[in-house]
Amino acid sequence: MCLALVSCAPAQIKPGPATPLQPTGVRPQDRAPKEPARLVPPEAYLRTYLALFGAASPSEAQKLARASDNGQLFDNWNDYLSALGFPDHRNDLPRANQTNALMVASFERLGIALCDRAVERDLRGPTETRQLFKFSADTDNISVFKTHFDILHRAFLGYPLDLAPADRAAKFYALYETIVLHHGEKGLKSRFTPAEAGWANVCYGLSRHPEFHLY
Amino acid sequence: MRRRYGWLSFVVCLLCAQHVASAAPGKTLDAYRHFRAISIDLVGRAPNPAELAAFERPHFDLDAWIDKQLGTPAYADRLARIYFDLLRLEVGPAFTYAPQVTTLHRQQILGPDGKPLYIYFRHNQRRERPETDGELCLTAAESGIALLPNNQVRGTPIAVSQKVLSARTTVVKPWWLYRDFAEPMPMMLYRQLWAPDPLFQPVDELVTDPDQRPTVEIRVCNEEAQTAPMGHIFTTGRNGPPVPQPGRVRPLPVDDGYAKQHKGEAISCRSALALNMSVDCGCGPGLQFCLPGSDGGNDPRAFALPAHTPLGLEQPLDSTPQSVSNWYKRWWSEEALHYLTYLFSNDRDIRELLTGRYSMVNGPLVQFYRAGEPAGCCGREKNFGMTVEAEPLFDAKNLPEMEPSDLGWRVVADRGAHAAGLLTMPVFLTKYASRRARGAVLYNAFLCKSFLSGNAQLQPSTEPNLMIRPGCATCHATLEPLAAYFSRVEETQWIYLPEWYFPLRNFTCRKNGQGKMAGGCDTFYDPAFSNGQSGLLRGAYASLDHAASGPVGAAEAVTAAPEFAGCAARRITESFLGRALTEDDTPLLETLTTTLTKNGYRPRALVRALVRSQIYRHANNSKASP
Repeated sequence: MCLALVSCAPAQIKPGPATPLQPTGVRPQDRAPKEPARLVPPEAYLRTYLALFGAASPSEAQKLARASDNGQLFDNWNDYLSALGFPDHRNDLPRANQTNALMVASFERLGIALCDRAVERDLRGPTETRQLFKFSADTDNISVFKTHFDILHRAFLGYPLDLAPADRAAKFYALYETIVLHHGEKGLKSRFTPAEAGWANVCYGLSRHPEFHLY
Repeated sequence: MRRRYGWLSFVVCLLCAQHVASAAPGKTLDAYRHFRAISIDLVGRAPNPAELAAFERPHFDLDAWIDKQLGTPAYADRLARIYFDLLRLEVGPAFTYAPQVTTLHRQQILGPDGKPLYIYFRHNQRRERPETDGELCLTAAESGIALLPNNQVRGTPIAVSQKVLSARTTVVKPWWLYRDFAEPMPMMLYRQLWAPDPLFQPVDELVTDPDQRPTVEIRVCNEEAQTAPMGHIFTTGRNGPPVPQPGRVRPLPVDDGYAKQHKGEAISCRSALALNMSVDCGCGPGLQFCLPGSDGGNDPRAFALPAHTPLGLEQPLDSTPQSVSNWYKRWWSEEALHYLTYLFSNDRDIRELLTGRYSMVNGPLVQFYRAGEPAGCCGREKNFGMTVEAEPLFDAKNLPEMEPSDLGWRVVADRGAHAAGLLTMPVFLTKYASRRARGAVLYNAFLCKSFLSGNAQLQPSTEPNLMIRPGCATCHATLEPLAAYFSRVEETQWIYLPEWYFPLRNFTCRKNGQGKMAGGCDTFYDPAFSNGQSGLLRGAYASLDHAASGPVGAAEAVTAAPEFAGCAARRITESFLGRALTEDDTPLLETLTTTLTKNGYRPRALVRALVRSQIYRHANNSKASP
């Protein structure tokens, strides 16, 4: 009986000196972030913005963007530079290689300023001086929309619409139609006609598109 | 008619739009994205419609297009930005440079007619008249005011008599008001007959009289208005500790030991000694060796400059008034940027980042290297016999003739024997002010190595040699020899300490029986490594050879290191891929490094190979977005 009890008692495991585990094999671990998002450098973003705006310099773009609205649409380049990721070497602040909330908000505000001014200038101005909206605002079916949208698509994203995902045109057309349909509801005042507001929103969508900010 | 043609062009435009609505034959989405990526990196922006149309043509030659872009300023700017980001070559607000010998201050007094009048002067200017020696050239009795430190004024202005004004001041047509200030009768007045570069904007106070009319000439204290290049050491016979004097703000200056020993000797009017030791040194013809300030503060406002230049000075944003110091610092920074741009636009050997003896200058930099740079010397150095910078890093003899207001750029083929690429530029030497900071940035930026502390137990130690002190040696065994290369360049400065005046081992600075060195020695010689036989130049203890070879030796050693080419390839590749390289990128990096070295270290071939590589082509996660 005693022998049986002794034999069934749990074995005591005493602590011993810690020894490093011996590797059984070495295999390199691939921790490389493959194909990450590559952000367009802020200088390239700014130059692209100026080209879309049709301005020769940042100060000219600022003047055009502010127009007679003061800072309602556009504040001041000096306010946007650090948010856009420009480095500040004087204060040892490096350039931002990844987006952040403030940067995205700045893209949004700059995009709205660009699109609104482009609508005012292009869709109401003479056809020969149009920079961005090189077409008539009137769009009554998706076929015409696609033709016009392709012009904007190339300008912002750098490739034709027919190489984009198949439903992109439909989604943007739905956006356009929704804006046009509900324009002026609830008595809200707008400086735009329904069609102008529709194209302005399509333009907003492209100016905030990930493919516009990545490359 | 015009309206009809407008409609016609609109129809044509629509037809064009209809025509380009589909992708060009044979052009895939991947090809479009690749073209856009290269455009962003080499043109500096996304492709415009015309460029896209060219790309879509059937026989578009991408290789030829890439080669064309590699010769553009946009490409040079793209590469320059890599090293500018890496070295952060702008000096921050904590560092100011407004030497007293080159900074004119402005004070309002009352003229003989009782109307306000501006007078320009330098702080601490020595004058023969004891009442004004070291102060404003008008006494409190003459002007009613006394200038206190910190830009404060005591007293109430009274009209200065015409006799006193004529006796104490000189009328000058200065360089910032006249393009032809060096002529006997300057005529080309600012904004009237002279339209300078739009970036050259003296602050309004400097070009406007108290009555708000444009300034056509200014009044300067006589001593400051002098034009001789050389002056003489001035002594007064005053000895002992300075004592306060009635009617003066500060005690009368007394003769220091050096002045007594060298009384009457000639000195350069461009050195720091000129202000404190002579009464016959001024700011030169048209005040060309001084910068004007709008007030009496130590770093007064001088010129308006853009606060930000995200696309370079050619496309500035709003300008704001900047101080004398910021004027200098801006051009130091621009010198480095233009140097980088010149190197990359001409596809020069990338080792010239560190070894190039050439540089680029404009008018403000010429003015700086002629007057501002030597003004940093030789208050402390005179005790070793150096009263003027003997071997400057940028030899002023090699400078082109340019007016201080000329903002165009010119290449200087050779700065001098001690020039070493970016390493001897003022912006580098002030951004990286200490010997160790300079050595560390070399190690990190150009060899892609970092200092990683070991797992050593730190113990209290009196060991001055950091290369062997426990806990420090891990890093300093490498860092100290690198820092030694900069032993001959003063910290926070650019003054080169030549062998003739500052031997590495200096018998004069040996320790005496009490373990003390002679006066003034410990500024330049390190007591911790000196002994009874000689003093040892600061920073040189780690390697006398490195100290002797100076920044030029550092440049040669770093560019000859086996890591240099690979590091240069890594810096450029990481910038173009937008991420740090990993082990998986090793084959690409090796290929690009070989491409760089086989092409004489000229980076254009590397970039050409990089933008055609599959890794670059697929560097972005291009999953379809809505």
